[in-house]
Amino acid sequence: MTFTSFPFLVFVAVVVVAYYAFPKKARWVVLLVGSYAFYLISSADTLVFLLATTVVTFFAGLFLGKVNDETKLYIEEHKAELDRSAKKELKAKAKKRKRGVVAVALIIDFGILAVLKYFSVYLAALSDVIGFTFEAGILIPLGISFYTFQSAAYIIDLYREKYAPDTNIAKFALFTSFFPQIIQGPIPRHDHLAHQLYEGHDLKYENLCHGAQLMLWGFFKKLVIADRCAILVASVFDSYTEYSGWAVAVALIFYSIVIYADFSGGVDIARGVARLMGIDMPHNFRRPYFADSLSEFWRRWHMSLSFWTRDYIFFPISLSKFFGKLGKNLRGILGDRVGKLFPVIVAQMATFTIIGLWHGADLKYVLYGWYNGLIIVGSLLLEPYFEIWAKKLRVNIESKGWHVFKVVRTFLIVSLGRAFPRAASAGVAFSMMGSLFAVTSVEPFRATVSSFGLGMGDYVVIALACIVWFIVSFIAEREENRAKAAHADKKKGIVSGRAQGEGDAETGAEVRNLIDKLSLPVRWALYLGLFLAVLLLGVYGPGYSASTFIYRGF
Amino acid sequence: MRDTILEILQDIRSDIDFESETELVDGGLLTSLDIVAIVSELNDEFDVDISPDDLLPENFNSVDAMVELISGM
Repeated sequence: MTFTSFPFLVFVAVVVVAYYAFPKKARWVVLLVGSYAFYLISSADTLVFLLATTVVTFFAGLFLGKVNDETKLYIEEHKAELDRSAKKELKAKAKKRKRGVVAVALIIDFGILAVLKYFSVYLAALSDVIGFTFEAGILIPLGISFYTFQSAAYIIDLYREKYAPDTNIAKFALFTSFFPQIIQGPIPRHDHLAHQLYEGHDLKYENLCHGAQLMLWGFFKKLVIADRCAILVASVFDSYTEYSGWAVAVALIFYSIVIYADFSGGVDIARGVARLMGIDMPHNFRRPYFADSLSEFWRRWHMSLSFWTRDYIFFPISLSKFFGKLGKNLRGILGDRVGKLFPVIVAQMATFTIIGLWHGADLKYVLYGWYNGLIIVGSLLLEPYFEIWAKKLRVNIESKGWHVFKVVRTFLIVSLGRAFPRAASAGVAFSMMGSLFAVTSVEPFRATVSSFGLGMGDYVVIALACIVWFIVSFIAEREENRAKAAHADKKKGIVSGRAQGEGDAETGAEVRNLIDKLSLPVRWALYLGLFLAVLLLGVYGPGYSASTFIYRGF
Repeated sequence: MRDTILEILQDIRSDIDFESETELVDGGLLTSLDIVAIVSELNDEFDVDISPDDLLPENFNSVDAMVELISGM
């Protein structure tokens, strides 16, 4: 059941009505039943794998929590006798006890993911040999990457004593299966989401209104923008040998629009559904195409995955004693600066390898990760030289023009790299990148444009929709920057007029707050306009069924 | 100790007012690269062992939080 299907809207309506119809204490049960019903309708054959991960993670969590509590209690009771080093030793012992369980749980959770997602091709071959056939990839459970990463974060957080574990397996089962998030995230953290799921929320007009707004905005991005631009992208990528030069460039830029509109639209719908029930899911995007560097882009794009890799891959590697020492030893060969940065470079490359692999096992995904990792590492190493060059070329790095140049440059770097995940294979991606720069003949403009599969009307719709999207993003960015500036002023003791109104720097909230301030007729005209745009300008297949989301496949 | 930490922080990011800021991590002011640089400097300077397990936002949101973290080690 995809988010953009009519049955999904009916399903959401039923769950929301049931949620508020039940007494507060039982509302989490409605969510659990709803989530499992959703999973059974969408991916019944693979429910067993979700259950396995849930059970393993839950019991591992219980054990980790027990060790944490025992250690804390012992230290509390023997406070007087224990000096600092004795306490340290006790904690180290507890960690050792926990490590085995953490390893087993992570191996099982990631093992299921690896076997089903990455080795399904081999599984299919093996099943052929033993006379049992199943198609490669068919057994990939819905949302497996999302719930596996979410479960791993839970286990590591408990190892790090960040919070107490869940003691009710039914509640924990809701945490791993919550239906708005299971298809394409965001990847939530237990300390942010779980309590919101378990406590019942009061019916508030504001939540219904903002939830519906977010959903409508998501549908707009997905159906009006993404699915329309995707037609052009598919035309070029499917017959890539027939295109070169500007046509490939247009397809790459359109794909950047498609993937952002598709993914962020899907996440908006998910967050909107959750909001209807008073649940605030984490953000996944902060206007990534306003980033002025690639590393900034990754702090704004698919944030829940970026933060996951930061906390569980980047920090452990960059702060590990092993790589720190290795870097020190290598200073003689690599120089002081590179030697010092060595752990960070290793951590950065490992992070992007995981981000690449997260999308799939194919070489093209690994190369996509490395493309991003190498550019970020390269710019880190060249940073001092950039400063010298900027001075020599007399570039005013504080100027608006330079900032705009950096934003456009970052967008183009991102768009070029996306050839890897979108192309059929790494080879195709390289060949398309090559053809981008090797224009042999002047393309017949009209014939090429008509072969893209979009009509004049489509381009007008895309242009207008993107302008609306840009304006909304621009306002959100401006309001966030203002709130930040006001916050900084306040810290310095200057309470300005703006500072008094600040506090909610949440992405998108500013735009919603601005809409709330509009008069009733204007507000409803806006909603109606957006609704009609989705209904009339959305790209639908037969029977008003839209295409599925790209990230559903990851 | 507080002054030494302030000096280290100022060295790494001169554009932030560390004296008064209390949301260095939660407010997104420090990047992960900054945090790695800060932790390795602190480890060297105070001969402590701040591990990834200690990298909770509340330990790095302000100078005072960092003082407290290191004092407790």
